[in-house]
Amino acid sequence: MPASENDGLKTTATARQALKDSIRGLGAYHANACVRCGLCAETCHIYQAEPEFENLPAVKAAKVISHYRRYHTFLGRYLPWFVGAKDLTAEALDELVETVYGRCTACGRCGLHCSVGLDVAAIMRAGRNVLAAVGKVPDGLERTVANQLETGNQMAIPSTELVSTAEWLSEDLKLEMSDEDVQVHVDEPGKRVLYMVNPREVKFFPLSLMAAAGVFHAAGESWTMSSKFYDVTNYGFYSGDNASARELTRRVMEEAAALGVEEIILSECGHGFRSFRWEGPNWLKQEYPLPMRSILELLEEYIDSGRIRVDPEQNTERVTLHDPCNLVRWGGISEPQRRVLRKVVKDFVEMTPNRKDNYCCGGGGGMLSMSEYGQRRVASGKVKAEQIRATGAKIVATPCHNCADQLIELSKKYELGVEIQAVVELVYNALA
Amino acid sequence: MLTVVKILVLLSIVWALVALAVEVMLARGGGRRDYSQRTGSPLKGMVYSFTVAMLPAHKETVSRHPAKFAIGVVMHIGVILALLCVVLLVIWPQLGREAMSLFRPVVAIALVAGLYLLVRRIVSRDLKALSAPDDYLAIAATCGLLAFACFASTDAAGQTALLIYAMLLFVYLPLGKLRHAVFFFIARGDYGRRLGYRGIYPPARRERGVA
Repeated sequence: MPASENDGLKTTATARQALKDSIRGLGAYHANACVRCGLCAETCHIYQAEPEFENLPAVKAAKVISHYRRYHTFLGRYLPWFVGAKDLTAEALDELVETVYGRCTACGRCGLHCSVGLDVAAIMRAGRNVLAAVGKVPDGLERTVANQLETGNQMAIPSTELVSTAEWLSEDLKLEMSDEDVQVHVDEPGKRVLYMVNPREVKFFPLSLMAAAGVFHAAGESWTMSSKFYDVTNYGFYSGDNASARELTRRVMEEAAALGVEEIILSECGHGFRSFRWEGPNWLKQEYPLPMRSILELLEEYIDSGRIRVDPEQNTERVTLHDPCNLVRWGGISEPQRRVLRKVVKDFVEMTPNRKDNYCCGGGGGMLSMSEYGQRRVASGKVKAEQIRATGAKIVATPCHNCADQLIELSKKYELGVEIQAVVELVYNALA
Repeated sequence: MLTVVKILVLLSIVWALVALAVEVMLARGGGRRDYSQRTGSPLKGMVYSFTVAMLPAHKETVSRHPAKFAIGVVMHIGVILALLCVVLLVIWPQLGREAMSLFRPVVAIALVAGLYLLVRRIVSRDLKALSAPDDYLAIAATCGLLAFACFASTDAAGQTALLIYAMLLFVYLPLGKLRHAVFFFIARGDYGRRLGYRGIYPPARRERGVA
């Protein structure tokens, strides 16, 4: 047997096993339930932007399901043509790449509105698991995962850079808050809270980190970051590489134990929250030994308990709120950010639809790391852009740095003239 | 003859139930324990998923396509009534015959709905491209059941024809697309359970318009 043919067989066998492992238990119910009615079309922001057959959620799901059916259903095994079952060949895997990475952000909106109740996102994630198992993750996404594994953060920022950023942010905060005690704490054991941030906050948007540090100080919080593992993101979750996702989670939990913290607080990051809060324990197959919350929940606690006082007169511009899919539709955090915003801004308006029914901004699912789909990503954000425009808001609060990148691009492309801010920045600005 | 057919129908029902149970168990794959800390109620999530979440106001597939959805619902109501007639004919023939007569108008409307859905699948470019032969057979077979339930006479010959057809349908049920009759409930329940676990279903009181 030629070597290439042998490799092909190995790839197919690996893919089949990965499909079996990932779809059973979670998605197999759903793989058997789709009636291919096609009514889900308009629930998808990508289909709305590009109303092509290939962008229909039912079509995307069918491509993954066709392989499940081929190996795990009776008629699929013996009469594949009759039930639309397809062999998991190398060519089929190549075709699947664009479908599951390039045409779907796994935002889950189609599933929520499916008349059957089909979890399309789980099926697409099973597709990503298969492709990750055979090394067919798009390069940009794969590189981001590799960065996280090799350096501890997705942007490959050296620890020294975090430490120096923390130092100059501390100096700025001292001046701004007129308080010599305020500090961005790094690698300080025995603190109550371990704060995880998006490396983007360290590299490009330190105002978010500075705002969080300011709020922590105002609340008298005992907190620290880790210079080794401070990255709240988990691109293994996006790529479908569960082994890497597990490893990234394990490192953070070990670091938390080493620092002796009592709680982990996750910065504003949709998929980071979902990965650590909901998926992480299942990747590790164990319950966490300490609690883990979003900073949004902590901010609400600070305000409600009076640990910080806020004045909405400090934020007079109209503010609207973007709901990150992984935080809200998949994470269950929809109300704390609203209750906080109502207290820290003067004019808060909702987008329509909102909360779990929100539209994906287009930047989810790792799209921002895959330049080959950049055009579609920006086009698919048109729905979100129109939602924002309709509110008349000047500021879009978004509790996700991934979404923030996309929204900044959408604001330019669709001439929205809005400023994108994290919720914690608005809270910091409102500190009385 | 009719007695033999009834026995065969019962056997085909047993086959369908056993095969579907095996399929569900295989799909479950042993299940997975959720190690994350629960914030909501899986049970409440499931209840919500099967009730409020299915209302048109909460489901864009319905609110954007009310006519198509209604047609689908009508067809499914007809199928349920037709199957009820079949079961009654086997276990309580007198009531089965009365049910056939009583349900006939509804089943007739359901048949029209089913035929519409079949034609739609044939003429719609997207649906056609999405469909495999099984998709056409599933809906054609359903229309067949509705047609038998609608047009078969209530005498022995009519009953025999309906029961033989139903027997064939039960044999096919777990093999093809019609197995969604069971997996619909499992998938929706599973979805509601998971969203309930995370506190997403049911949504916050404020979101539901409660102050």
